[in-house]
Amino acid sequence: MAEREMQVATVPSVRPVRTRRMLFSVGKYLFLAFWAAICVLPFVLVLSTALKDPDLSTGNPFQLFSSFRPDNFVDAWTLGNFGRYFVNTLVIMIPTVLGVVVLASMTGYALARFEFPGRTALFYLFILGLMVPFFALMIPLYYNLKDYGLLNTPLAVILPSIAGAGGTGLPLGVFLMRAFFLDLPNELADAARVDGCGEWDVFRRVMAPLAKPGASALAILTFLSAWNTFLLPLLYLQGENNRTLATGLLLFTGGRTRELELTAAATLIMLAPVVIFFMLFQKQFITGLTSGAVKG
Amino acid sequence: MAVTAPPATAGLGRAAATGVRSRRERRKRTNPLLVALFVLPSLAIYVLFMVYPFIGTIHLSFTNWDGFAPTKELIGLDNYRVMINDPEFWEALSHNLIWAVIGTAAPIIIGLPIAILLWSGSRFRLAFRTMYFLPVILPSVVIGIIWGWIYNPIFGVINAILEGVGLGDFATGWLGNADTALIGVLIAAIWATFGMVVVMFLAGLQGIDMNLVDAARVDGANAWQRTRHVLLPGIAPIFTFVFTITLVGAFSVFDIVYVLTQGGPGTATEVLAGYSYKMAFGRNYAGYGAAVSMVIAILSLVLAVLFLRLRERSRTNG
Repeated sequence: MAEREMQVATVPSVRPVRTRRMLFSVGKYLFLAFWAAICVLPFVLVLSTALKDPDLSTGNPFQLFSSFRPDNFVDAWTLGNFGRYFVNTLVIMIPTVLGVVVLASMTGYALARFEFPGRTALFYLFILGLMVPFFALMIPLYYNLKDYGLLNTPLAVILPSIAGAGGTGLPLGVFLMRAFFLDLPNELADAARVDGCGEWDVFRRVMAPLAKPGASALAILTFLSAWNTFLLPLLYLQGENNRTLATGLLLFTGGRTRELELTAAATLIMLAPVVIFFMLFQKQFITGLTSGAVKG
Repeated sequence: MAVTAPPATAGLGRAAATGVRSRRERRKRTNPLLVALFVLPSLAIYVLFMVYPFIGTIHLSFTNWDGFAPTKELIGLDNYRVMINDPEFWEALSHNLIWAVIGTAAPIIIGLPIAILLWSGSRFRLAFRTMYFLPVILPSVVIGIIWGWIYNPIFGVINAILEGVGLGDFATGWLGNADTALIGVLIAAIWATFGMVVVMFLAGLQGIDMNLVDAARVDGANAWQRTRHVLLPGIAPIFTFVFTITLVGAFSVFDIVYVLTQGGPGTATEVLAGYSYKMAFGRNYAGYGAAVSMVIAILSLVLAVLFLRLRERSRTNG
């Protein structure tokens, strides 16, 4: 009797568990898909609007992809002067990324591997920059740049960005690269020294190549923030010919309440490089962005 | 190949020996010229464009400089005294506080369950992660433009949805209405940050020792108990980190507000950073603007120090 009871008890209990699992699974994917849709749908909306005929663009937003007019991109590009803004943005982005990666690698290496008085204090000085918001520099920096004759030149954005005013820059770079060099084994550097390498060659030929994963994560983070930086060019790079994509796009959309298809096309012009870059280097993006959270 | 670090197990005895030797060598000071070559270029740029202007802000905040006068007249704490009686300052600060509470809580409340579900095993995990992360990489100008559209009173998606489900009476110009503007801007900001929180929690969860989870399961802990007693303590450091960066960020929010509403309508979405910007560059009160900036800086520094303390404590406890 006891056996029969057990059988009766176990058989029906299997099915509720299975249905519960199923329900949980369905609920889980619905939940995940809901938030994924919230993230992605605005992109779809922009893409759909960017391809619409001018007289349809402010119509029903749910009529997705109701027309196909790639000329909008050409119109936005020429009307909005985006070729110029694109070049201006590159002129800022490239030196910023190179500057941050090279300088942060060298200083991070020195802080990790060299022995000199004031090393710890110097490290903390750089780390402090991670905690100082841009607004604590914004006003005097404007007048400093004016005094140096740099205002409204690309250097007015490049140098503060390297210094860390944009949020990444040297403070984050020195922090990441120092941590990276600390993790590398000593033996290789020592072996190179025994072979007669000078300290510069030890860094340049042995240690720096080993730090490539760290440096590429840093490069990608810096690229992202240099591409997206908004307030720095808004303040320090004024004048039509100096605009970057961020400030140029704002001006372009600001005056337009009707020609939505052009606004959408212009938005995609600014967006495309970042999204493509992200898709290609997703791993480095995420390593870079999470390194502060997991490391340190 | 660059990545040919010697395996850690090879010749343990020798590694230990060289470890001792290199430690002795490292005590020897590096050639100062070499140190200068590696450190001075960074230090020069950092001091000139970070440290010096920061000191400049502290100095300016004690002056009534207008941005043009050849001399900067010191007026002691007057800017700060004026600030205490400035209703617009308090309104801006209150918006930052609202931002700090909702803008920190919402991304965690949305992001943590997503991260745990993804971690606990899900198909298309990478695809999901990519989609959640897309808004995070967007330029703030683009976030502003997209959400400006979504909220648009004439062709916006939100009003179209409301009308579609028969709630057309609630349709409004979301950003032009002082009652809804701040929460509207905040929602756009939350949209753009929760993916970051997902990715960070996911990174933290991947560091959790699976043996602990299995042990808890063997001991009869259900999914909720495993989450509560194994997962959450495991990601506590990430929690502190996420908490701190979103909190600190809440006090220096600017871009998205500027693009969406410029602080308006009226002062309904004015925040400290925008107020400082407006005072210094719109109205030429450089001294007063600097004093407002100092409030942002002090709040950020206090929160950051608090974070370091918390982390130290959790480390010594763990």
